[in-house]
Amino acid sequence: MSTPEQRVDWDAIEQSPEFKELVAARRRFVLPATIFFLAWYIGFILLAGYAPDFMAESVYEGLTVGYCLALTQFVMVFTLGYLYLRRSDKVYDPLAARVVQQATGHGAVPPPSPDGATGPTGPAEPEASR
Amino acid sequence: MTIIAADVNVEALVIFSIVLAITLVVTYWASKRMTGATVFWAAGRSISGVQNGLAISGDYLSAASFLGIAGLIFIFGFDGFLYSVGFLVAFLTVMFLLAERMRNAGKYTIADVLSFRLRERPARCAAALGTLSVAAFYLIAQMVGAGVLIQALVGIDFSLAVLITGVMMLCYVIFGGMLATTWVQIIKAVLLMIAITVMSLFVLERVGFNPIELFNRAADNVTDESTFSLGPGTFLASPIDTLSLGVALVLGTAGLPHILMRFFTVPDAKAARSSVVWAIFIIGTFYVLTTFVGFGARALLGQGGVEAAGSGGNLAAPNLAQFLGGGEGTFGGDLFLAVVAAVAFATILAVVAGLVLSASGAVAHDIWSNVIRKGRDSEHEEVLVARIAAASIGAIAIAIAIIGGPGLNVSFMVGLAFAVAASANFPALLLALSWKRFNTAGAVTGVLFGVLSSIILVIISPKVWPGPDAEGGLLSFYDLANPGIISIPLGFIGCWLGTMLSTERGNERNFSELHVRSETGLGSEKAGILVEAARPEKRAQVPVP
Repeated sequence: MSTPEQRVDWDAIEQSPEFKELVAARRRFVLPATIFFLAWYIGFILLAGYAPDFMAESVYEGLTVGYCLALTQFVMVFTLGYLYLRRSDKVYDPLAARVVQQATGHGAVPPPSPDGATGPTGPAEPEASR
Repeated sequence: MTIIAADVNVEALVIFSIVLAITLVVTYWASKRMTGATVFWAAGRSISGVQNGLAISGDYLSAASFLGIAGLIFIFGFDGFLYSVGFLVAFLTVMFLLAERMRNAGKYTIADVLSFRLRERPARCAAALGTLSVAAFYLIAQMVGAGVLIQALVGIDFSLAVLITGVMMLCYVIFGGMLATTWVQIIKAVLLMIAITVMSLFVLERVGFNPIELFNRAADNVTDESTFSLGPGTFLASPIDTLSLGVALVLGTAGLPHILMRFFTVPDAKAARSSVVWAIFIIGTFYVLTTFVGFGARALLGQGGVEAAGSGGNLAAPNLAQFLGGGEGTFGGDLFLAVVAAVAFATILAVVAGLVLSASGAVAHDIWSNVIRKGRDSEHEEVLVARIAAASIGAIAIAIAIIGGPGLNVSFMVGLAFAVAASANFPALLLALSWKRFNTAGAVTGVLFGVLSSIILVIISPKVWPGPDAEGGLLSFYDLANPGIISIPLGFIGCWLGTMLSTERGNERNFSELHVRSETGLGSEKAGILVEAARPEKRAQVPVP
């Protein structure tokens, strides 16, 4: 018995402009964001290691440079997390849904499940019973 | 051997018992819904984003995060906070590079992702090695820590404390699988957040809700022998070592099997993504509040509290709670201490249950079901083997902790677990998901390089191998306590070298399937509902042309 996966032409999907656009769109955010957060974090660690006196300096009555920079790390994590979430909802999820729709709409796979091919979890699975 | 010490804390015992009773009720509830492997390993993929965010926090925030970091800040000041920053930033690595793609590509364990496009048996063996190494080091450290803490906080004997912890952990995992473990982790996360918030409010109330005043009071409350400072360099003296630690924390979290396994419990990639954001929010808040507890302990308990806080300052937070409640001997003081002790206990239970579950996944799902039985076993058999594996792993961990005793040197073990996770699991997973050329030999070499280099470098490090004069490690030129900065590149080099030297071909087709599936969710494991008993079929292998 052949399973639906064997009938999906994965290479064709991978080469499709829709899929390439999804990968490129995600990379446009994830790559710079990853480089940025690693650089910001490693810079912080290096400052703590090599410039302890600077980090111990008081910004305001005992609030040190180090503690403030540490808090910027927290702000960075919250901000990047929020931005990624928002971009995923607005950009990546619709793009992924389009890839799934393209792949399942051309008769390459068995009929779509009742809930349609809208979610990122596509219908190309045999045990799609809910 | 005295089972119950003279100074047993009755309030703590009572609150302990309540927490244990609640978790056992949850386990009973989960055991009634245990319909098969998907519930056992992945809670039926029924956990929502918020719930999974809480559970990730419960899985991740160990007693080392709660009592350990508060204690480090109390004794050393700013350097303790450096750990918190690393532990939190790590979740960006998880979110950007792995969480959603793991959910889309995998089934129950991280080996599922590797074996998707690589040769099944060697890839699973390599992934199981990485998982088991991380779980073993982490688990033993947690068990010994649990015994020491419970002995100090409640007054019951170390061996009994380890035994209770181990038996409870095994109850959750064996009877309730991932479903019970998830809810134990959620309960623990809620308890922990309430406890740390209340403690922070009590501390801030003492300083008129002005954190600046708190820092000043903390900085003033030192004597000549204090190591406390608002600036860095008191605990982490070597910059290179600090960097090595920091990189291992930030990349290692993305290789911790018990954390990654949590992403298989949600219905889809969108829920996996939102669960990381919830976890970031909860864990970030927690670590900011930890600084109030740590600096609060310094401001209110002062240098006089250092000896009472024990080695590493682990008891600083409980002692502070007692002080805030009214002091030793008062009802409020004893009650606060008891509550914090019970929360610490719940914290440990949630973490060790997650670890045992991930280790039993490596043994039962990867080694037994897919390597030895080659996928021909029934789902019933897989869960049975998982329970036996969990019991064996738990028994071994209990035995090592009890035989090693409270004096067992575990200080290097959590660091070692993160180093192995960052050097072996993380490179292999990342490259399997993103590098088309990557192959089985690369994964096996990379994991071996990562595991071996981490372990060897820790063995020869000053923490483990005191030289003749007890200064420096085995080799005079090598004095790093944290191997990450060497072992992580070695892990990646291993992956690359193995790939390049191997003549293996024919993985490209599987890569395109993995690539599409991980990015879009097309063909990924379906969401389930708990009462459903449908057995998901084994993933069909696409024949290589």
